[in-house]
Amino acid sequence: MNFWSVSTRRLLMLLAASALLLGIPAAATAFASSATTGTGWIRLAHLSPNTPAVDVYLYSFDNSKAMIVLHHVAYGTVSPYESVQAGDYSVAMRAAGASATSQPVLSTSVTIAAGHAYTVAGMGPESGLRLQVLDDALTTPSGQALVRVIQASLKQQEVKVTLGSTVLAGSLKFASVSAYQAVTPGTETVTVSALSAGAGDANSSVTLAAGTVHTLVVLDGASGLEVVSLEDASGSGKPPLGGVQTGFGGTAPHGPGSPVPWLVAIGAGSLLALTGGLRLRRNRQLIARI
Amino acid sequence: MPTRRPVAALAFAAGLVVIAGGVTGLLLTRHSTPAMRPAAVGVGAVPAPTGPIVAAFPAPTGPIVAVSQSAAPKPVAAPVSLTIPLIGVQTNLMTLGLEPDGELQVPPLNMVSVAGWYTGSPRPGAIGSSIIVGHIDGDAGNVEGVFFRLRQLSAGDKIYVKRSDGTLVEFRVTSVQQYPKDHFPTEAVYGPVPDPELRLITCGGAYDPATHHYVLNLVVYATEVS
Repeated sequence: MNFWSVSTRRLLMLLAASALLLGIPAAATAFASSATTGTGWIRLAHLSPNTPAVDVYLYSFDNSKAMIVLHHVAYGTVSPYESVQAGDYSVAMRAAGASATSQPVLSTSVTIAAGHAYTVAGMGPESGLRLQVLDDALTTPSGQALVRVIQASLKQQEVKVTLGSTVLAGSLKFASVSAYQAVTPGTETVTVSALSAGAGDANSSVTLAAGTVHTLVVLDGASGLEVVSLEDASGSGKPPLGGVQTGFGGTAPHGPGSPVPWLVAIGAGSLLALTGGLRLRRNRQLIARI
Repeated sequence: MPTRRPVAALAFAAGLVVIAGGVTGLLLTRHSTPAMRPAAVGVGAVPAPTGPIVAAFPAPTGPIVAVSQSAAPKPVAAPVSLTIPLIGVQTNLMTLGLEPDGELQVPPLNMVSVAGWYTGSPRPGAIGSSIIVGHIDGDAGNVEGVFFRLRQLSAGDKIYVKRSDGTLVEFRVTSVQQYPKDHFPTEAVYGPVPDPELRLITCGGAYDPATHHYVLNLVVYATEVS
């Protein structure tokens, strides 16, 4: 019957077309090469014990208008990190309250790379004050914490710093910074002791979680040494492995279902129509014969 | 027999109807659904939540009086709910850990409308990269997950997290990225950062019926608005 051949041809064409449709790989999805948004981080600090409070200015390299101004920054102050576009910057220090257009006491340039963090700190004695740019770590060995020490005590020129039984710095000189050290996460006592006799130790309890970066700052306190623990950066101590399975596919594109039920329906319908049609014709012939 | 005529005619007509139905069904189901999901539009946007916004500590933008980080920032409370007004997301947050194989847990199939906070990541608003994940969809019936419209976010959009002490922390989207799951940038997503950030994670790209997983992850990066 003609109906069948047309239907079959159409079916074959449809099947071929849908196979083609299904065969087109969905691989054309474009993804960005990296997560970087082209920003880095900077923070500013005053760590010179005998230098009075200052105003700290951050300038984007080609702009004379300050991006950030910290007023009346006193010894021992460390600002939070500020996210900025990667590029060249300069940091200037002026006496607290000095005009923004006055000649800075000190200035330095700093290049901020995307995804990196920096501390720009006024360090040393007032007579030899300098702005030091520190490269701050943002990655930790798996399951560990990173810690370093900034020695900003002028009264005790050399100190020893321990974390529990771990020696972080055996002999750290004034205005210097220890290397980062990877330590086992946990809560430990930090002890800062002067290498010269007669000075009391400074103790502080710090909790270092896995995946965190810390800076311990040794300061001259009102009476003797002080130690301050800064959490510089934090992430997942136990980073999950691989990707995340956050979908069950319910809204995903699906291929066509099986054609069998439809074909069965067409077959059954044809059988029914054929039977009915034949019976009708026979009836008509019977009537004609009467 | 002439008396059988209506029955035969009925059978013939019914047969034609069934054929027509079968052909129509076949034609309608021969097309796969569009390769790309249509962009979801007309989302009932939800209002931004209200509540005290308490930053962990003030950031040094603009002229401010000496900010000292010397005293460690106060610990922030655990997150309890998430609101993304632009795409109509308003959900409580469940807590998620790691699977025995080290993969990140996800909300179960009967909770695709709920997002979860990875308890191994910093709390939203604390220093570091806080992780919140949610499903893109359920397993059948076109059920949309809580993060179905996440890919509609772009830089500048607002995200709010409410914490158990009633405080609210506001984030601003900085970028939206997609990665193949087999090249997931673990360090960029889960690694330490020095400011309060948020990462929202869901699935994207094509669905692989063989593995029952989507091939891409979509990650929304956001930083706290101070």
